Amino acid sequence: MISIEVLAQVVLGGILIGGLYALVAFGLSLIYGVVRILNFSHGTLLAVGGVLASTLYATWGVSLSLMTLLLTPIFFAYGYLFFKYLLEPLSKKNHFESTVGTVLVTVGALLIMSDLTAKFAGPAQKNINIQFDTFEISGVIVSTTQIIILLGIIFLTLALHYLLKLTWFGRAVKAVTQDPLGAKLCGINSGKIKATTFAFGSATVFLASILYALSFPVDPYIGFGLTVKAFTIIILGGIGNLPGALLAGIFIGVAEGLTGLFWKPEWAPALSVILLLIILIIFPQGFQKSK
Amino acid sequence: MKLSYINNQMVFLGSLALLGLLGIVQFANAYLISFVFTILIYYILAQSWDWIAGEMGYVNLGHYCFYGIGAYIFGIFLVEGYTSSTAMLLNIVMTSFIAIIISYPLYRLKGDYFAFATLALLPLMEVLAYNLSSITKGGDGIVFPIQKVSSLTYVLALVLSFISFILTLWINRSRFGYALRAIRNDEEVSEVIGIKIFPYKVKVLVLSALFAGLAGALQGWQMSFIDPGSVFGLNVALVPIAMVLFGGSGMRWGPLVGVILLACIQQWMLVNLKMLQTTIYGLIILCIGRFMPGGLLRAGWIKKTKFLSFLSKEHHEYMTDQLEKSVIQSDAKQISLQDILGTRTINRQILILECEHITKSFGGNVALDDVSFKINQGEIVGLIGANGSGKTTLFNCISGVFKPTSGKIRFLNQELSGKSRDEIAQIGIGRTYQLPRPFGDLTVLENLAMPLMFGGEGMSPHEALINARALATFIKLSNKEMVRSDSLSLQEKKAIEFGRAIALRPSLLLVDEVASGLTPIEVNQFVEHIRTIRNHYGVTVIWVEHIFSALTQVVDRLIVLDTGRLVADGPLAEVLKDEKVIASYLGNAKGVTNA
Amino acid sequence: MKSYTKLVSTIVVFFLGMGFSLNTFAKIGSCNDPILLGTTISETGPFSTLADRWRKMTEVFAEEMNKSGGVFVKSCNKKVPIKFVIYDDQSVPATAVSLYEKMATVDNVDFFVGPDWSSMGGPVPPLADKHQIPMVMANVASPNLYDRGLKYIWGTPFPVVPRWSERYFEMLGSVDPKPKTIYFITHDNPVMKGITGYWSKKAEDQGIKVIGTETFAPDTKDFTAMLAKVRAAKPDILYISSFDAPSVALLQQIRKMKIKAMDVHHAMLSGTVYKQVGDDIQGMTGELPWYPGVKGDYSEFVENVLAKSGVNMFDYIFSLGRIASYLTMTQAIERAGAIDRELVKNALYKGSFKSPAGNITFDERGFPNNGAFTVQMQQGGKVVVVWPKEAATGKLIWPSPSWQ
Repeated sequence: MISIEVLAQVVLGGILIGGLYALVAFGLSLIYGVVRILNFSHGTLLAVGGVLASTLYATWGVSLSLMTLLLTPIFFAYGYLFFKYLLEPLSKKNHFESTVGTVLVTVGALLIMSDLTAKFAGPAQKNINIQFDTFEISGVIVSTTQIIILLGIIFLTLALHYLLKLTWFGRAVKAVTQDPLGAKLCGINSGKIKATTFAFGSATVFLASILYALSFPVDPYIGFGLTVKAFTIIILGGIGNLPGALLAGIFIGVAEGLTGLFWKPEWAPALSVILLLIILIIFPQGFQKSK
Repeated sequence: MKLSYINNQMVFLGSLALLGLLGIVQFANAYLISFVFTILIYYILAQSWDWIAGEMGYVNLGHYCFYGIGAYIFGIFLVEGYTSSTAMLLNIVMTSFIAIIISYPLYRLKGDYFAFATLALLPLMEVLAYNLSSITKGGDGIVFPIQKVSSLTYVLALVLSFISFILTLWINRSRFGYALRAIRNDEEVSEVIGIKIFPYKVKVLVLSALFAGLAGALQGWQMSFIDPGSVFGLNVALVPIAMVLFGGSGMRWGPLVGVILLACIQQWMLVNLKMLQTTIYGLIILCIGRFMPGGLLRAGWIKKTKFLSFLSKEHHEYMTDQLEKSVIQSDAKQISLQDILGTRTINRQILILECEHITKSFGGNVALDDVSFKINQGEIVGLIGANGSGKTTLFNCISGVFKPTSGKIRFLNQELSGKSRDEIAQIGIGRTYQLPRPFGDLTVLENLAMPLMFGGEGMSPHEALINARALATFIKLSNKEMVRSDSLSLQEKKAIEFGRAIALRPSLLLVDEVASGLTPIEVNQFVEHIRTIRNHYGVTVIWVEHIFSALTQVVDRLIVLDTGRLVADGPLAEVLKDEKVIASYLGNAKGVTNA
Repeated sequence: MKSYTKLVSTIVVFFLGMGFSLNTFAKIGSCNDPILLGTTISETGPFSTLADRWRKMTEVFAEEMNKSGGVFVKSCNKKVPIKFVIYDDQSVPATAVSLYEKMATVDNVDFFVGPDWSSMGGPVPPLADKHQIPMVMANVASPNLYDRGLKYIWGTPFPVVPRWSERYFEMLGSVDPKPKTIYFITHDNPVMKGITGYWSKKAEDQGIKVIGTETFAPDTKDFTAMLAKVRAAKPDILYISSFDAPSVALLQQIRKMKIKAMDVHHAMLSGTVYKQVGDDIQGMTGELPWYPGVKGDYSEFVENVLAKSGVNMFDYIFSLGRIASYLTMTQAIERAGAIDRELVKNALYKGSFKSPAGNITFDERGFPNNGAFTVQMQQGGKVVVVWPKEAATGKLIWPSPSWQ
């Protein structure tokens, strides 16, 4: 009844969109894995990045590469400063206060960011409207734009993964995650490491936001919904596990597509949450990557 | 339900406030009513959230779900033609039911995972509301019949808010509240001192959900329209939570102050500013988070301002006040340890504990290997062995923290295998932990009082605290009764650990390395404690200890473990000569000291 | 005791104070004060994406109208200027309710205009009846919200569901080759579902068979599954019943999937769509309540207001609904001859009012009859009105070339 081409199309679409979901989750996986802070403003940073990128592209004709070059360091710096001056001082307080404090700080940041963005760039929806050709392979339509995005995601995944594995920085991050005090005794400034990780996470979010705005419309208010989805993915993929997040994202993307195909499209958004809840009930600790 | 915590002052002031607010319905304009109504609804949501978060330490980010569920259930039945009272009743019943069902899977999660999962429930609910359109009318929303209910809903919301506040007072002073606080600090230890924690978790969730659901129904009724976005929207879901955290979670006045301040600030800005209201609102929240993360009411400057300082009283400070009053009134007779622990006649013939072929393995690691021994009533048995030999594992098996992989444990001829930790505690097995685990944010006295509250028929918190003073004297911490236990030294914490364990009135006490880190005088004191509880109160003791000199003063018998196996079991003198023991634990003759 | 008392007394006094010391604005109905029109706009929050720059537009409307003196009120024997009282409802219904209560009881506005959107159109109208203040809502399009027996509300959504695609289907009756099948893709929203429900029936009545209908959730980003089904069904007409913004991803993917049809029709084709999807929407048809260039009553005035406030109506098609509510109210006041709520209410009842898009006529529920023009996006991003023939600014190209 449903032809193989349709099935292939849907699966391919699911993979491509899943990769994009994973992208949204990346920065969060990294940040949460290391600093263990529930950052509610994560998705909003992506929304801001997307709106910024779209505005620069549409209104001022800034090319994507120039934009990336100029803004990535800015987002990096933002992440570093945000962590250093707003979040780090909280980690020194007792558990209760640091939890409450980070919730308030990140929620406040969320509100401020989306409001200011709406004020200066306008609340209306935008995107980066660059369209490449599509080509057809035996009845299945493949979009070049999406392939580029997927390749971009895979590249980012591998780059970050190996960065963490092979560099001194990556090992320091691991040390800090596992044993902050011990790491300190080894001369690793865990505060700096955490701040740098946060900065990296934020820079990743910006890169993700460009790819996102190439595929979907953005506005200043999509942030929180994306944050929820990102948390879902990092739990499914294992916290701190970047390739895991990619696979989890793809899994969700394909599952949503198949739900739409075999059942009803309007239930697709519920799927990721239901999956999350089922997984957490069976594995209350999530999928922990053995360290 | 005793209303002793509501004293005359409060009744007077409460009535004054109630009249003032009710007067608004009569005299003030519709705007004020609608604004105060929103504040009341926020307060109900905020306070009900804080029962779970402030008292029990679980952050339920999806609290707003129950608001929406309540609104929908009420709305669906109202539109179907049921009377509003019936619809409200059905709302209460169904929301509670949903909360019960959802607590089973949800409470398998802890900490951040619990927060994620509850947060994810919101978009799920929104999708369900959109898609189950035959019941919920989907995106169309539910259009209520137009009724003039603005005054009625206002009064109901007012009543509900008062009930929420009073409930908070009740929870603060009750055993229920103490159970929640125990859970907040350490769930395992809560069970080990005899608290059955799951029913409390469910009850507090149901209570919280119930109030949130009622708030949703009331507001929906007043607005005469609900749709998925307005009751499950992420843009409003965190607002009540931010308000509580802003004011101070876990405090009597925290949620109320937080709600009133933020709601008034927001309204003022909406009316007077043309732009950037949300930015300023966010900035205020961010600054409080950064500079006063305990909440506004915990800030130093509030505590110092006389006019306002009463707002920053923490719960245990209220209890302390009440306690001090009773003590001054001196109708509390001097309670001795004897009163608490009673006396037990020791019959050395009775078998109190029997371990048969206990094996415990974790994956490939065998921590206990076929360990069998018997202990009679009234013995003090020392348990020694190299580190990693399985001593703490054995304790964990006996107290129910672990289930043995195989083997049987019998306590006074009851098999322990089917029993939960709290049941084991209730039948008379107490234990201390090697690294002390007192309930950190509770005072010394509260820690000691906990087992008294939950053991046997259980005492009221007030009574338990008075009784606990005897224990505090016993462990020599009476000068620090009202101090928070996480601020104490290691030795003091060990003393609390010990005191709390005997407060359980156990017939068998498992003591895990309580003497390390102590000075010789302190060690001797400990030995005295152990002797006292056996000689005077009939408690059988198994004592794991490395400070050999301490053990030798008081034990009748020694059991020795080596890499999970029992290698010696007998009177002190015999075991000391045993070669295996010397080889694995004591070292050669030169190393052995005899105190 | 002292501190408790102090605090509680403060709170009580504060509330009582707020109740009585709030000053009142101008007297209601006075000829010497501006006519106060109270409204809320969703300037922030999720709905603000549709309401960009409306505060400015509203203020400019007042400015421009007041340039000629304002609204002529017979009983005052002169023109009285208008003044809008505008608050941000932050896209939250409860907030809107409290603000309308404020405008009614504290700011003492004469009349209400707005709000927009179903979420507001549910809770806010009962206030109009409660305070007996006539309210002309703007973009509230669900007919069931007008069925509640309220006497003081009207609305000017453009267009209304029963007339939405009237001209489009008229046009379809006259084209050659005749389309035989139609496939609906609907955005899960009451208005859009209403449109699909109504017009799928009409299509069948007209002999165009409905061979499929799919609904998508508001935040859907991936339409592969749905479009795969559409492609397999090969409909003659693909009808997209969706708000403009949520359909952007859909349209991009329709192109990518190389869907073929005689025509792809979008119920809310707007500049927002064009900006984000670009030339991919070439060849699509849509409906617009109005388009700059189409002459009608007040069209110059409206074009002027739009230009001065920097609002492009093609981009923000809901702007017409807003402006129409203002135009309707001001005309009603003039017709009533007095700044009197009851007289204005009578003037509005089943009244007919002018707008650039044609006459707005209310039925007894306050529901209007607004229609729309059928447009087609042609070469070079040009929007051409293709139906009805009298208003057409260009010729329809059928079948749509870019969809072959």
